[in-house]
Amino acid sequence: MIHAKNITKIYGTSTVLNIDNLEINKGQSIGLVGNNGAGKTTFFNLLLDLIEPTTGTITNNNIIVNQSEDWKPFTAAFIDESFLIGYLTPEEYFYFIGELRGKNKADIDTFLSQFTEIFNDEILKKKKYLRDLSKGNQKKVGIVAALIGDPEVIILDEPFANLDPTTQIRLKKMLKSLTENKKVTVLISSHDLLHVTEVCERIVVLEKGNLIKDLKTSPETLKELEVHFSV
Amino acid sequence: MFKKFIALEWKKFIRSANFQKSLAFKIFIGIGIFILLLYALGIGVGLFFLLKEQIPEKDPWQVVNTFIVFWFLGELIFRYLVQKMPVLTIKPLLILPIAKKKVIKYGLGKSLLSIFNFIPLFILMPFSAVLLFQGYSPINVISWFFGILFLSYTLNFITFLVNKNETFFYSILIILASLIGLEYFDIFKISTIAGTAFNYFTNHAYLIIVPIITLATSYILSFKHLKKNLNLDNLITKQKEVKTTDLTWLNRFGEVAPFLKNDIKLIWRNARPRKTVLSGFVFLFYALIFIYSKSGFNGSPYMLAFAMMFVTGGFAMTFGQLVPSWDSEYYQLLMSQNIKYKTYLDSKWYLMVVAVVVSFILATPYIYFGWKVYSLLIAGLFFNAGINSYLVLLGGVLNRMPIKLNEKAKAFGNTQGFNMTQMLIAIPKMFLPILLFGIPYKLINHNAGIITVIGFSLIGILLKNFFLTKIEKIYQKTKYKTIAAYSENN
Repeated sequence: MIHAKNITKIYGTSTVLNIDNLEINKGQSIGLVGNNGAGKTTFFNLLLDLIEPTTGTITNNNIIVNQSEDWKPFTAAFIDESFLIGYLTPEEYFYFIGELRGKNKADIDTFLSQFTEIFNDEILKKKKYLRDLSKGNQKKVGIVAALIGDPEVIILDEPFANLDPTTQIRLKKMLKSLTENKKVTVLISSHDLLHVTEVCERIVVLEKGNLIKDLKTSPETLKELEVHFSV
Repeated sequence: MFKKFIALEWKKFIRSANFQKSLAFKIFIGIGIFILLLYALGIGVGLFFLLKEQIPEKDPWQVVNTFIVFWFLGELIFRYLVQKMPVLTIKPLLILPIAKKKVIKYGLGKSLLSIFNFIPLFILMPFSAVLLFQGYSPINVISWFFGILFLSYTLNFITFLVNKNETFFYSILIILASLIGLEYFDIFKISTIAGTAFNYFTNHAYLIIVPIITLATSYILSFKHLKKNLNLDNLITKQKEVKTTDLTWLNRFGEVAPFLKNDIKLIWRNARPRKTVLSGFVFLFYALIFIYSKSGFNGSPYMLAFAMMFVTGGFAMTFGQLVPSWDSEYYQLLMSQNIKYKTYLDSKWYLMVVAVVVSFILATPYIYFGWKVYSLLIAGLFFNAGINSYLVLLGGVLNRMPIKLNEKAKAFGNTQGFNMTQMLIAIPKMFLPILLFGIPYKLINHNAGIITVIGFSLIGILLKNFFLTKIEKIYQKTKYKTIAAYSENN
């Protein structure tokens, strides 16, 4: 589904990302881990064509992302608050994204009804603008919006950060069920090794822009990662 | 401590993406300001003699005193719309061991360095010098000079106090409009009363105490106002229940409908765009200056054509100029969502055309001035929809300034409607209609000029797809730069 080849991103003299080859199959859930500055967000930004690669290409379903816009219909992402429109209410935001993805108001209402638990009565029908919601609630809106319109590729940057424990657990359940039928490819990055090993079947470790570990998740993976990062 | 603040400001200035990419542009603006100050000096020197020649039976100084009240009201409106309030990043300073007093004093002091405080100075100084040479009593001239200057600075601080208050702005606008109306129809002459007061002030130098008191009061009030607002409670928006509006009637626009709905909400719900649209509205009256001044209407039809283009183009000038900056806060979303860039541009084009048509309808009263004026208004409608709209979108490529939509909540918030920089880029574009209208006018007649403008504009509308595709290519090319510049403040 996604194939990064010889991809590098260089700012001035510092190389922030350098991946020779990374292939992600359809229906896979993959977790990117690494310390600050490892290149996780840079990779996502390249995948979403928000920054330009210095060399190499990324293809998404055989479409070169910086040459065609055709990957947009089946790709959805939530990176940070700049993916939210602050002056809309959550409902209006969901309807807006829905319209972009060919879903009408009724479709969206049905879609939202499955998130009642996660929203915890703090998001819908509160008559508040998104900019006035707490960071955690903003994140919930962003993640749910990224699921609108059955995208085939979902990219979430640090989805667990800022969320309360209950929501973290619910989110994990939700992400796992997404990849159950092997149709949706999920990419997440996280600093939380426990969460990421629970949700993802494959873990990629980045360090200073380089891909240094590529593991299939097993019961020992968490231990291995903990050892790796405890130096 | 002030030195450190200044160092911070300087770093903020030279490290912004906008500055690093456009030094030539800053120089251009610098020259613009220089010319403006030169004009102010010219007015200051020439005003006395001009008044003496035009109204020989009256003392020029007294004439100035009579009308200065209008100057002040106009200045207040202009300051409100255009003057930038100094923005100081407050949050990180609040927890540091710096006296709040110092932060505020610095902010207030910095506001005095605005160009708006130099223009009155540059007019008043030469004017007062001329008065001295004309043999008026030095003590009276000097006290008058400082008195008027202090009143102007009082306005500077009042602008601070009312920066977030739209009711105030509308009130001043209504007061000014009604005073001019009453004056024009000889019902109530504010100028007589104000003139008497200012003349009395002129002849009694000790009354300088009055402007000193107003200046001090306005300073103290702004100081107190800012001090009260300088805490985090006021940085966090007060949460009000919001009203949602049904805009489904816009769905008839098809593919671009979601964006149009968003743009209407953008304008309605955010302080800055609202104010910008307001300043666009002011352009509806722009041509009146040319119609009523003797030199404009009969003297130069070119200048009238120029002015009439502004009447319907105000919104495109002020709001359109900042496309796509309005969407800078969530630009990454728009760039990665299921949107073709062309659809996005298309929606902005529709928005501008709708605004041009609305301005045209609002400008219907121009029919009163006869066919020549009204036909130019029609030509303006077509020109702004068919040619200017593309030029404005193209201008957006050059402009990578992120906009914080809702600065309202901050004590030192910057809610200015539009900035001079944008105005200065836009003005050259407006000379195009003078050419399109002027050449056939000169060679054939008025109607030929109108037909030429409409003809070219219709071609422009028909070739919409072609132009938007071209503009899209340029936008695409600069996409990464734009994203990087927009994420600077986020």
